[in-house]
Amino acid sequence: MIGFGDMITPIMMGILLGGLYALIALGLSIVFGVMRLINLAHGDLVILGSYMAYALMSHLGLDPIVGLIIGIPVMGVLGFGIQKYLMGRAFGISAEAPLIIAFGISLVIQNANQIAWTPLSRGLTTSYSLMSFHIGQLQFPLSYLLNFIAGIMVMVTLREFLIRTYLGRAITAASQDKRAAQLMGINTNRIYGYAFAIAMISAAVAGVFLGMTFPFTPTSGTSFLTIAFGTVIIGGLGSMLGTFIGGIILGIVQTVGGYFFGAATQMLIVYIIVLFILAIRPQGLFGR
Amino acid sequence: MIASIVILALFPLIGAPHSWLLYVFLFSIYLAMANMWNLLAGYSGLTSLCQPSFLGLAGYTMAIGTWVGIPWWVGLIGGAVVAAIFAFLISIPVFRLRGIYFAIGTLVVPEALRMIFYLWRPVGGQMHGAGAGYMIKGIADVSMADIYWYALTLGMGSIFLVGFILRSKLGLGLAAIRDNERAADSCGVNVFRLKLYTFIIAAFITGLAGAIFYLYQGYIEPSATFNVKWTMTLLLATVIGGMRTEEGPILGTIVVVVLYFLLARYAGYSFLIQGIILIGIMLLSPQGIVGVLRHNRYYRSLTQFINTR
Repeated sequence: MIGFGDMITPIMMGILLGGLYALIALGLSIVFGVMRLINLAHGDLVILGSYMAYALMSHLGLDPIVGLIIGIPVMGVLGFGIQKYLMGRAFGISAEAPLIIAFGISLVIQNANQIAWTPLSRGLTTSYSLMSFHIGQLQFPLSYLLNFIAGIMVMVTLREFLIRTYLGRAITAASQDKRAAQLMGINTNRIYGYAFAIAMISAAVAGVFLGMTFPFTPTSGTSFLTIAFGTVIIGGLGSMLGTFIGGIILGIVQTVGGYFFGAATQMLIVYIIVLFILAIRPQGLFGR
Repeated sequence: MIASIVILALFPLIGAPHSWLLYVFLFSIYLAMANMWNLLAGYSGLTSLCQPSFLGLAGYTMAIGTWVGIPWWVGLIGGAVVAAIFAFLISIPVFRLRGIYFAIGTLVVPEALRMIFYLWRPVGGQMHGAGAGYMIKGIADVSMADIYWYALTLGMGSIFLVGFILRSKLGLGLAAIRDNERAADSCGVNVFRLKLYTFIIAAFITGLAGAIFYLYQGYIEPSATFNVKWTMTLLLATVIGGMRTEEGPILGTIVVVVLYFLLARYAGYSFLIQGIILIGIMLLSPQGIVGVLRHNRYYRSLTQFINTR
């Protein structure tokens, strides 16, 4: 019989892991909320963020979190470019064109990563990423706590940005009603570019914390896309609080599932939960 | 067209080089799969990203079958049936999703199957380290020429199958759904059932093509089987040639096979270049090669000439 005491560790780990999952899913949620596009390349963009931090760390010796000073602008500009030159045009072509182009971008990034950094598994190992902290008798990795804090910080920052700044309000307006926003003098095409840039910035941050927690390979993107999608589906697409709760639920499902059925089945359980929720409630547990 | 099929069918008899057989073999396998993807994504609005699960399940059914004494040709048909049944089963959750949700819902399926086949090894004992791969037993007497003919029959058959479906009642219903789903529904077209039929037919043919491919390869393992690269190939073939056209997948598959052998030397760059081509074609000419050709006077008179014969 498994006592409650044994369950605390996987549940706590799951909650902390949920912060990372919410962080990964945030970019997907923004792009969906504003442009009604599910960005199939999101997982690979997060992994690209991890590799950038890895490159800065191995060549310049920069700490991954400090490396974000370079990583954030680079990814932001890249995101603006992708929206302006690829996605923006795709919306005018046909319904499935943005999807196919996102799929193409995903493969290009995957293979570019593979060429640049070989298919070997990498990790962002810093002096503090292997440390741990204690709560009572229980021991947790410090990187999980960092993930959780980073997740909350990015979400609060983004929320304040969307509520308090002109650009943030313009993005909200464009996501609510594109035509009305245009009539109010908002350049929606440019706003879409900024929204994609913000999604990419969150992907850069997510990539760094992901890299400090898990090892990654150029093809990890697909599994993290599934996690991000699962998070967003559980929480309901476009809702930020829902995304956070979704991340925590998925984190707990994964760690508790892994505790009962073994670590090898963790991802399988996540996939099955995602399909199950899609089947019974496609709009998400907290969606309208 | 009949003449070219006869010439291709005679290749093994007239002693064509092995590499030629391989080109035509791959062309036929990809053609059958691309035709089915075109039928789904182009004509039925089902942007399915789970085609690897059909071909993989069929291949695994055949491979595992040969381990328990079922002859490979029973496994070949049985595998396709298993793929069709699986399509029916997953249609219950994924058909509730529309458009882009459908695409991402189906993307999860091969990933889940890959995990399952890594962990689950029904016969042949536990193998350590390399995941659950299987040799296909008892196919020593199957010659390359035989496999070549099966593939060619399937590939060419898929062209006629798509033509037949599009001219049948099913195809007319699909055309109505594509133009306006709600209007079709209110005119008495059973949208759900038509889509389901198309999905199951596509799964069956894709499964058959996959099983023939693994018959040639003689070995199956999860990571290359339930791999997004299959989806990429089908997408590329259909999009390069022209989605929503009958001749598109044929032209597109020729381009993909040529690309495959041109880029084989630069293995790492192959998919990078293919991804760039995919994005480029989609942006510059969404209707693919056929879209460009249809603006050409000579192409129009050529198709007229073929059709009137």
